[in-house]
Amino acid sequence: MAHYADPDVLVSTDWVAEHQTDPNVRIVESNEDRALYTQGHVPGAVEIDWQVDLQDQTIRDYVDRAGFEKICRDNGITTVVFYGDKNNWWACYAFWVFKLYGHPSCKIMNGGRKKWQLEGREWSTERVSYPPTSYTAPEQDKSVRALRDEVLKHQKAGKNLVDVRSPEEYCGERLHMPDYPNEGALRGGHIPGAVNIPWPLSVNEDGTFKSARELEKLYCKTNQLKRRSPTIAYCRIGERSSLTWFVLKYLLGFGNVKNYDGSWMEWGNCVGVPVVKGSLPEGGDPPATPLPEA
Amino acid sequence: MDTVSERIDRIVDEFVDLDGRENYCSTLPTDCHRSRPTIRPASSKKIAASTSARRRSISGPMTLVAEVAEEAPTVKGFVALLAEAVAGRPQTEATEIEDDLLDRIGLTDVLGMLRSRGLRAIVGRVRKELLEAG
Repeated sequence: MAHYADPDVLVSTDWVAEHQTDPNVRIVESNEDRALYTQGHVPGAVEIDWQVDLQDQTIRDYVDRAGFEKICRDNGITTVVFYGDKNNWWACYAFWVFKLYGHPSCKIMNGGRKKWQLEGREWSTERVSYPPTSYTAPEQDKSVRALRDEVLKHQKAGKNLVDVRSPEEYCGERLHMPDYPNEGALRGGHIPGAVNIPWPLSVNEDGTFKSARELEKLYCKTNQLKRRSPTIAYCRIGERSSLTWFVLKYLLGFGNVKNYDGSWMEWGNCVGVPVVKGSLPEGGDPPATPLPEA
Repeated sequence: MDTVSERIDRIVDEFVDLDGRENYCSTLPTDCHRSRPTIRPASSKKIAASTSARRRSISGPMTLVAEVAEEAPTVKGFVALLAEAVAGRPQTEATEIEDDLLDRIGLTDVLGMLRSRGLRAIVGRVRKELLEAG
């Protein structure tokens, strides 16, 4: 595979620099650390926060359709180009939420903040706003999101499951990434049958995505994932796995791939679901209490 | 010289009248610069490192040294506040760093629940390491 399956979803830093004032393009920064936007952002970019803006603050879920429409109206959303810190984790997460609500034209700036910085490009500290637009979103597109019961059925059927966390989290030695506070779940380990393909393997040192050939080798040859098989990616809260979801769906052309945003913060706290500790090879699925039908 | 508790009260006073993310974003990183000599960036190879706070204290007056990723100005600024609060004070006063510091300076709503949990965990870790230093 010499080229990305859907190259139009990736734009370069050059492309973004050329479209900073394009009224048909809205550049959106989404970061783990909110203070980064204030310290400096791509000129003309607005900030949409994955946690405070895109998530419901009471129920563990995303804003409803009306809430999403308001975000898009308030920011004059048209074609949207996401970028951010952490090699575009949160940009991919925001991209995924926009796809959840069926936004047609979403792109990722390849390399994110890191590449923009490495290239010595201009940062702006001006918080910009745009005239509100009208915006109507469809109902959620369930084809990009996996919920717990679907993941359980998927796991029992032995279909593709990708755990994109660190090996330490996958093995159950840690409940969070190395160097992060070790908190969050009552059990450590991974979903039985999941292969561990840590997300950093998909990106280069400069934050850009690896080539189609390298990604093909990693996912399809080394780890033997099949493009036509239904695939679910997960991590701890769904952000790292949204990057892998993006890679599988748009760069490698997997036809049916979903992000399990409940991820380990749900699975590792869930009563009765099967968990495996330790690394591969696994010695079979552990017994588990069947979950009640949702 | 003010105790740790008194210093924390003063820091809280600086934040308590602020409102919203603009004020947080402009105030917290400023505190980071104020304490820059005690803050060192983490290795760029530590891709996921954002909360690697560590202390260095040799039985007696406390000094807080932290390694924080370049892309984590909020953590950097928050740890800088802690460093300012404990600098030069006796080790026993580390117990005066209370878990609710983040709530007292009013950042919980601005940061969201997950980020707030991470910063609260840093408070606990810094306090523990300061108390165990020797």
